[in-house]
Amino acid sequence: MKKVAAVMMSAMLAVGLLAGCGGGQTGEKTYKIGIAQFAEHGSLDNCRQGFLEGLKEAGIEEGKNLEVDYQNAQSNGSTANQIAQNYVANNVDLICAIATPMAQSAFTAADGKIPLIYTAISDPVDAGLANADKSSTGNVTGTSDKLPVDKQLKMIRAMMPEAKNIGILYTTSEVNSESAIAEYQALAGQYGFTIVTQGISKTADIPLAVDQLLPKVDCLTNLTDNTVVSSLDVILDKANAKNIPVFGSEIEQVKKGCVAAQGLDYIELGKVTGRMAAQVLKGEKKASEIPYEQIAQSSLYYNSTALAQLNLRVPAELSEGATDVAEQ
Amino acid sequence: MEIFIGIIEQGMIYAVMALGVYITYKILDFPDLTVDGSFPLGAAVTAILISNGVHPILALLVATAAGALAGMVTGLIHVKAGVRDLLSGIISMTALYSINLHIAGKANLSIMTEDTIFRNGLIQGLPEAVQPYTTMIVVCVIALLAKLVLDWYLRTKSGYLLRAVGDNATLVTSLAKDSGTVKIVGLAIANALVALGGAIMCQQQRFFEASMGTGTIVIGLASVIIGTNLFRRSRLKATTAVIIGSLLYKACVAGAIACGMRAIDMQLITAALFLVILILGKERKKKVKTHA
Amino acid sequence: MLELRHVQKIYNPGTVNEMCLFTDFNLKIEKGEFVSIVGSNGSGKTSMLNILCGSIPIESGQICIGGEDVAKQKEFQRHRRIGRVYQNPAMGTCPSMTILENMALADNKGKRYGLGRGTNKQRIAFYREQLSQLHLGLEDKLDVRVGSLSGGQRQAMALLMSTMTPIEILILDEHTAALDPKTAETIMELTDRIVSEKQLTTLMVTHNLRYALEYGNRLLMMHEGGVILDKKGEEKQAVRMEELLKIFNEISIECGN
Repeated sequence: MKKVAAVMMSAMLAVGLLAGCGGGQTGEKTYKIGIAQFAEHGSLDNCRQGFLEGLKEAGIEEGKNLEVDYQNAQSNGSTANQIAQNYVANNVDLICAIATPMAQSAFTAADGKIPLIYTAISDPVDAGLANADKSSTGNVTGTSDKLPVDKQLKMIRAMMPEAKNIGILYTTSEVNSESAIAEYQALAGQYGFTIVTQGISKTADIPLAVDQLLPKVDCLTNLTDNTVVSSLDVILDKANAKNIPVFGSEIEQVKKGCVAAQGLDYIELGKVTGRMAAQVLKGEKKASEIPYEQIAQSSLYYNSTALAQLNLRVPAELSEGATDVAEQ
Repeated sequence: MEIFIGIIEQGMIYAVMALGVYITYKILDFPDLTVDGSFPLGAAVTAILISNGVHPILALLVATAAGALAGMVTGLIHVKAGVRDLLSGIISMTALYSINLHIAGKANLSIMTEDTIFRNGLIQGLPEAVQPYTTMIVVCVIALLAKLVLDWYLRTKSGYLLRAVGDNATLVTSLAKDSGTVKIVGLAIANALVALGGAIMCQQQRFFEASMGTGTIVIGLASVIIGTNLFRRSRLKATTAVIIGSLLYKACVAGAIACGMRAIDMQLITAALFLVILILGKERKKKVKTHA
Repeated sequence: MLELRHVQKIYNPGTVNEMCLFTDFNLKIEKGEFVSIVGSNGSGKTSMLNILCGSIPIESGQICIGGEDVAKQKEFQRHRRIGRVYQNPAMGTCPSMTILENMALADNKGKRYGLGRGTNKQRIAFYREQLSQLHLGLEDKLDVRVGSLSGGQRQAMALLMSTMTPIEILILDEHTAALDPKTAETIMELTDRIVSEKQLTTLMVTHNLRYALEYGNRLLMMHEGGVILDKKGEEKQAVRMEELLKIFNEISIECGN
């Protein structure tokens, strides 16, 4: 393991050196950007990956003409703040902030001097980063990852015609979860569902909260709630024991064992964000001139193993374009 | 230069909070964990008031008062209900988490577009040359003001009693004063300062976030321990030492991040820093003893 | 002046360690008396002082100071009229504060501890003069922290501080026990001077039989929660050391020590 790591590190170093020389030879401008992620999280990691791919598509590639300073705040506000200030001090060409608190910290620190591109924010207007008409409030723009709630409800209805109550577990301190729940509640009636919510404040609350929630519901559906998603295994264990299906909100959750999800493709979200960043870096447009984009395209991911266990199946009308992500 | 300004800004904001921790940890000898709740409490109160059009300075004052109330509750739990110091703080901190969410109405309340003490007509009207320094200046003025008020208070009769109670509660009883009441007053003042720190942080960052209090006590303790240990033998006032401690702590953190240290190692660095300072401090203590 | 009536005190009531110290304890002390109290360990000397000051609760009975029953008053409330010096010199002063600050703190007893300046500059001369009476040179060290003083110096300050403001009763709880013989002597002389100057009603618990005989105008010996010897005035003057030792030995044998 150590050897592999050592080899990889040397390889990376070598590539870095070569790239450095290459950049110098062609005289092409090398961009220096900071990517700050608020927490360690599968979909946020995908965002970052997509972001770099998006830049690459536009000809800005890490190791060639792009220098990336990646930092993760590990969910600590004070660290997020420090990271943002560090970018400003290093005078990076652009900051990419992943998740709401990181974007807010970076917005304040950059103070308009450095363009800020955000991603994975459910409600940029509420976060104070955009106006209600999607225009920018400063040298800032980005992408929003609003959950495709309507499609998710439609999918659940199609797969479980008899179901009445949908349970949602959420963390009271995560603002994204609150707005998603509001939307679920607003739309559930149209599909004949009732939403039963159960709030938690920390990871340790989850087992009890799941036990409380399961007898009251026909299925569970997840949000992108960080705390809940990080304890998905516990939730799946308990739900499977009671034969209650758990629907996910993105591909990573389905891979782990959720039956299905109308999931945002976070890599795609990242790519869109990356292309925005490329426009700004190349000077084609200013961040303040680009309205934020909401990615609403979703596709159906399902886990055939999990479906079989619960005697569920993907109905024919949804199966087109659906992907099975079950591991063999 | 910018990183330097950033360190002073952040260091001075956290210094206000650290002054509160100094009162509980050093003066009252009370390990008060309320701090992790009262810091975001100050922020929540400020954010909701400002978003409802209250003047930013008034919002700071109300937030400070809210902090005092939180401290008082911790004190009452400890003194009147006889709960151990550490546990009383944990109870308050836990309760404040929910209370903060209720106050702000949601987990992340943004005041990006509102006027704050750092961003208003008056400050934006200042010449371009001073603009990069305005935030730092405002923070420094408030922090120094807080320090001077605390210095003044600690020299009053009431302040004398506060200093005595942590040192020797029996003496306070001998002076025919209720040591419990003095502790409650001390906790109120301490958490008022912590909430003020949170309120300033909220106005500077321009948002309240429910999780922003996590680890506040660690920053506070680090500042107090670094400051008071480094200047143990100097004639520097303890409050000044705490402020310098806070600046040094922030400088260390900024330095670590700038050196490419990953955020996951951040807590490890803090712990190492703690240990080094405590060991250094201990050695000095020994020296003083052998001299005596 | 001071009276304990029908006091009952049980330690650890309701547990296997239940121990009844006082079943019906009565004691009356007149104004201006300087009472030396001796007795073996566990005889109830210190418990009696604690009961008087309110440091420990009692099951039943009355505690009267100047005719008023203070049994319901809290410890700090009773200290308005009581000054107390403890065995441990650290208990009577504040180590992290300077000599001057300690003096100012004690000087304000009985008044409000408000937002006025802690140290009244006009009183400094008075503090100096008070400290100079200790003959320890403390008057020249006003800005020194009390924590760096020796035990004897601290105890002298504690004595001074507890008697600086008008009090009615002075409680001395083995206040020379932690000091070396010479310092103990100095503190005892100082105590005697202050008590006679201010005419304080004084209760002094001591293990030093010589001090008990030499100082004060009343002598109490306690044993197993009761007073077994009570001599006042001339009767006390007549008590010899040998006599006292003999009684002590008797009760010790009884206890099996």
